[in-house]
Amino acid sequence: MLEANESTPVTAKRSQSQLISLCVNGEWREVAVKPRLTLVEVIRDSIGLTGTKASCESGACGACTVLLEDRPILACLTLAIECDGKRVQTVEGLAEGGKLSAIQDAFLDQGAVQCGFCTPGMLMSATALLRDCPKPSREEINKALEGNLCRCTGYNAIVDAVLQASGQGVEPVMK
Amino acid sequence: MILLDFGYERAATLQQAAAWLARLGDGAHVLAGGTDLLPSLRAELVSPGVLVGLSGIEPEPPRLTADGSIRIDALTRLSSLAHAGLVREKLPMLADSALAVGSNQIREMATLGGNLCQETRCLYLNQRHDYQFAAPCFKRGGDCCHPFPRNDRQTCWSVHMSDIAPALIALGAELEILGGAGMRRIGAAELYTGSGLQPLSLGRAELVRAVIVPPPPPRSGWGFHKSTVRGGLEFGMAVIAVSLQLAEDGASCCGARIAVGAVRERPLRLESAERALVGARLDDERLARVAPDAAKALNPLPHHGFTRRHLLDNVAVYLRRALAQAAERARTGRA
Repeated sequence: MLEANESTPVTAKRSQSQLISLCVNGEWREVAVKPRLTLVEVIRDSIGLTGTKASCESGACGACTVLLEDRPILACLTLAIECDGKRVQTVEGLAEGGKLSAIQDAFLDQGAVQCGFCTPGMLMSATALLRDCPKPSREEINKALEGNLCRCTGYNAIVDAVLQASGQGVEPVMK
Repeated sequence: MILLDFGYERAATLQQAAAWLARLGDGAHVLAGGTDLLPSLRAELVSPGVLVGLSGIEPEPPRLTADGSIRIDALTRLSSLAHAGLVREKLPMLADSALAVGSNQIREMATLGGNLCQETRCLYLNQRHDYQFAAPCFKRGGDCCHPFPRNDRQTCWSVHMSDIAPALIALGAELEILGGAGMRRIGAAELYTGSGLQPLSLGRAELVRAVIVPPPPPRSGWGFHKSTVRGGLEFGMAVIAVSLQLAEDGASCCGARIAVGAVRERPLRLESAERALVGARLDDERLARVAPDAAKALNPLPHHGFTRRHLLDNVAVYLRRALAQAAERARTGRA
């Protein structure tokens, strides 16, 4: 099935950087990226937002979770060049005007942070969950956070924090 | 970090992608969701000169065709597939199998076609080996097999881990394959060769374009089970998909399709078990006999630390439960 557009030249410019534009936390930026760079590398190294963590780099831990066009994705398994023209929200974009978001507040309050390495990913997954489903059950929270590993095993406090942020009868413990 | 340098081209249509792949030959690789390809790039299991990206192509939503089949674009993300109203209503087994894949984030990224065309896996094949030298195995062009040191057949005993393929095979789905020579249509099981070295029957520049699932017949029921250790973010140790159809008397079986994935280089159809069920009454006694017999005939590859014995026992138990569930659904007519 050969069509007219097949004649478009494929220019395989290995390792040449291309300019892409990304809207990171509401601010458009132009970044030069090589095709092999992943979104997490560009967010951390080129843009300098180091809240997003790179850990397993194979999709097994969820530490690099960011919202791409409002959907939670793994920034370590996404090529930055594929995100040209798209909106990205990282953990730095959750607080508004210096005020933490409800889910961040709940994490602090429940002590849902131990070493903190999984926390940015957890917060992004939880933010996406609460947008789709404002009153999730414990089971729904477990399913939504199944892709985020916490090696400190602090899961109960994390689930409690999501329940608290969604206003479902979990009492604040620190205040 | 991906060490390999490659070029990147974003295709505007699937035809264009297929044409580019044909022109670029072995140096090109197609990139859809990336959840399987990027780890393979890191492990240097594939080293393309150019990636042809499909992210610029918007998938069509699942739709009912004139003959009552459901046509699903291969670029549909697994999260959309699992939550699409039409799929949930008409093909709940397919929706459940999509929901069993990976994690929430992976389902948001991964595509249906990518899940079907994923790389086979073993404990050595899909890892980077720069931290510790491991001689290249048969699949990597070497001359050994790490999980099976006595494998002297120059072959690869890795396992195909798709959760969705067994469900599609049990549902009798077909695949639309787009290639340089035009379109062809194959049964879902024919996508797989059974060889770990070359698991897919696709030609060099062929792409899965769509999945077409026939409507489940009347008085039919389904059962699906993915055996895992943790219950989330895990490849299956065995994936079982069953559809059964009852005859008009409402008691005997007149059609059965059983598929088991994650135990061999391709998803397997359990034809002997299907024959043992068709024409028989679907009572507990019969199912309790058929399931262990089917498991015994299976010959699974021990993989990811699970012994052959463990896999056989696991399949025997969960196949019986999946069959019982399918029979119950067929009887009550409840999805």
